[in-house]
Amino acid sequence: MKILYALFAAAFAALAIVPFAAPWLQFVLTIAIAKGFAAVGVALLLRAGLISIGHAMFYAAGAYTAAFIVLRSGISDLFVLLIASTLVTAVIGALVGAYLVRYRAIFFAMLNLAVSMVFFALLSKLYGITGGTDGLRVPVPTVLGMTLTKAGFDIVLFYVALALMAIIAGLGVQFLKSPLGHAVGAIHTNEVRLEYLGVSAWSVLLIAYTISAALAGLGGAIAAVSIGHVLPDYAYWTESGHLVLTAVLGGIGGVAGPFIGSIFLEIVHTVAVGVAHNAWNLIMGATLLLVIFFLPQGLYGLVTKSADKTSSAKLGENKS
Amino acid sequence: MKHIVRTAGTLMASLVLATQAMAQDKPEQIDVGVFTFTSGAPAAYGQPGAQGAELMVDLINAAGGIDGVPLRATIVDEAQGAEGVIAEYRRLAGETSYQVMIAALSSSNCLALAPVAEQMQMPTISWNCDTHQLFLNQQLDYTFRPNGNTIPEFVAYVAYLLQVNPDIERVAIINPDYAFGHDAAEIVKAAFRAFKPDVEIVAELFPSLGASSYQTEVSRLSAARPDAIFSNLWGADLENFVRQAQPRGLLTQSQTVLALGETILQRIDLPDGVIVGMLGDGYWLTPDAQANEDTVAFAEEYATRFGEYPVFPTMKMANSFMVMKAAYEAAIEANDGEWPSRDEIAAALGGIETATFTGTARLREDNDGYVDQVIGVTGPSDTYDFSVITNMVRYDGEALMAPLGEDPIAWIETLTPEFLETLPEPGSYK
Repeated sequence: MKILYALFAAAFAALAIVPFAAPWLQFVLTIAIAKGFAAVGVALLLRAGLISIGHAMFYAAGAYTAAFIVLRSGISDLFVLLIASTLVTAVIGALVGAYLVRYRAIFFAMLNLAVSMVFFALLSKLYGITGGTDGLRVPVPTVLGMTLTKAGFDIVLFYVALALMAIIAGLGVQFLKSPLGHAVGAIHTNEVRLEYLGVSAWSVLLIAYTISAALAGLGGAIAAVSIGHVLPDYAYWTESGHLVLTAVLGGIGGVAGPFIGSIFLEIVHTVAVGVAHNAWNLIMGATLLLVIFFLPQGLYGLVTKSADKTSSAKLGENKS
Repeated sequence: MKHIVRTAGTLMASLVLATQAMAQDKPEQIDVGVFTFTSGAPAAYGQPGAQGAELMVDLINAAGGIDGVPLRATIVDEAQGAEGVIAEYRRLAGETSYQVMIAALSSSNCLALAPVAEQMQMPTISWNCDTHQLFLNQQLDYTFRPNGNTIPEFVAYVAYLLQVNPDIERVAIINPDYAFGHDAAEIVKAAFRAFKPDVEIVAELFPSLGASSYQTEVSRLSAARPDAIFSNLWGADLENFVRQAQPRGLLTQSQTVLALGETILQRIDLPDGVIVGMLGDGYWLTPDAQANEDTVAFAEEYATRFGEYPVFPTMKMANSFMVMKAAYEAAIEANDGEWPSRDEIAAALGGIETATFTGTARLREDNDGYVDQVIGVTGPSDTYDFSVITNMVRYDGEALMAPLGEDPIAWIETLTPEFLETLPEPGSYK
C-alpha cells in the first residue's frame, strides 16, 4: 500500500512540473482532470452497478452555469464560479436523480441518456439564451480579486485543478470507506439485503447521484474557464459515452482510476491526432480495445497489481 | 500567496514574450497548421479543403517555397471537438516553426480559437468560418478573415432572387438546425423586409444536421406552395435533400435557391434554372478565375490528382494560402529581407489586399474581409458533363457589408428597395 501511495505522490509531482517541462501539455491535462472529475462521478454510480449514459449533461450544466454567472451576473471570481457551478449542478442532479434512481439496469442507462439529450437539445435550440450551437464565450475569470492574463490564469487554474484532484481523491477514499460508501457497493451486490438492513436504497442512490452530478459539474466549470468557450456538444451523448469509457478504462476499483483513465485517454488522443489526422479515430479505438482485452481491471488494476507484486517481492526479500 | 502567484504569472508571461521577441533566423521549413474536418459528416466539405491545402503546399514548394523556404502543412481534424482542436492548436503554437495557422472550418471552432489566438499571439487566418459574430463587439488582433461572412453572402442571394424574380410573394426557408442555419434565416428575412416588405415567409424548416430523410420537409414545402425556396443546407445534407426533393418536382415547382449549391454540381444533375452559388467568389469557372492561368492550372492539377474539379471550399483554402504567402512576403520586405516574427506577420496581415485565384481579398480595420459574392443559375455546359453556373453576377463585397462598427442585422433593415438598383444585373458578369 505504501508503494502505491509513493507511486501516486511521484505521479502527482510529475504532473506539477508539467507547466514548466511541457507547456503544451498543461491545457490537455487541465481538461483531462476536468473530465476526470466527471468520470469519478460516473465511476461512483458504476460501483452501484448503474451505468449513466447521460453524465455529460451535468458536465455541460457546470460549464454553462460558470458561463452564465460570468456573463450575466458580473461575478467573475474563479473560486466563486467553481463553488456555485458545483452547487447548481448538485441541485439539478438531486432533482433529476429523485426520478431516475428508481430505475435500474438498462432503464437507468436509457433514461439518463434521454434526459441528457433533452438537455442537449435545449442548449442548442434556446438560441437567445445559450447562443445555440455557436455557444457562449467565457471571459477570463479573476482569481481572488486579481486580474490575470489568460496565460497566467491558465497556470493558476492548472494548479487549482491539481489541488482539487488531490482533495477529491482524498475525500473519495474516505467516502468509499464510510458506511454510505459501502452501501453504494451493496446496491450492486445485494440490494434486497440492504433494504432488509434498514437502509433505503433510494436515499443512498440519490445521495450518490447528487455527488456524482456535482463532481461532473465541477469538472464542467473547470473545462469552461479553461477552454474559454462553452458549446452544447459538451452535453452530447458521445461525451457521456466517453465518460463511461474513461471510468471503465481507468478502473473503478479506486478514486484514482478515473483520473488515470482520463489523463491516459487525453494523452493518447493528443498523440494520435498529432501522428495521423486521418486515422486518429482508429488509433484511439485500437488502444481502447487493447486495454479492455488485456486489462479487465482497467489501468488502475495494472497499477495496484504491480504495486502488490513489488511489495510481495520485498516481503519475500525480508523473509529470506 | 497573491504575490507568489502574481510573480510566477509575470515571470511566465515575460519568458513567453522573451522567446518571441528574439531575432528570427531564416528557418529550414515553414510549418502551418491547417484546421478542417477530415472525418464525420462535415468532411464532405472539409476534405476538399484539406486536399486544396495539400495541393497548394506542393505548388508553392515547386515554385521555390516562400522566400526559398519550403512549406509544410499539418492537417488537424476538427471533428475531435473544441477541446481537442484547442489542445492541438496550443501544441502547434508552442513550436516556433509555426508562425501562421489556417483555422477553422466550423464557426464554433473559430469562435473558440479566437481568444486562444489572442493569448498565444498567433496569426490565424479564418479560411471558412463565416459567422458575423466573430468580429462583433470585440477587437481581435490575431484573427484575420480574408473570406466572406454571412451578411454579404445571404443578402446577396435575396438581392439576386428579387432581381430575377421581382414578383415573388411567398418564400420558404429550409436551413440546417444550428447557428449557421438560424443566422442565415434571420439575415434572409431581414433582407426581404428591407427589399420587399410584402414577401410572406410561408414555411421555416430546420432539419437537424446529418438528417437522412427529408421526406417530411419536402411534403411541407410542396404543400406550402412557395414561389421561392431558400436553403443554406450544405455538404451531405444538401446532397440528401436535393436527391429526395428532385423526384418530387420540388426544385422545378418553386424557384429554388441553394446558397452552397456549387459543391454538388459535379455530383448531382440539378435542373436548369436553380439559383446556386457559394460563399464568396470561390468558383473556379468565373470569368476572373478562367482568365488567371494559375487558377486554371490549379483546377486541372486538382482534377488529375483527386478525380474531381475543385469546389469552393477548395478555392477558399487555396486563397487563404495565397493570403498567407502574400503576408509572409510583405513582412519579409518590411523587415529588410530578415525573417519576420509572428507579430510582424500579423502586422502584414492587417489591412492586406492581395489577388487570389478567384478575385481579390481585402481586409478592413477590424480584420474582417471584403470578398465579392458570385451567384448564378444552373445551366448546361459545352465543355463539361455536369451543370455549371450561368447568368452570373459578381456583387462587390464592400457594398454588401455593414459599415465598420454597425450591428449587421440592424444595418440590413436600413436598406431600401432602391438599393437593389445600385447592384449589377444578373448576367452582367461575363
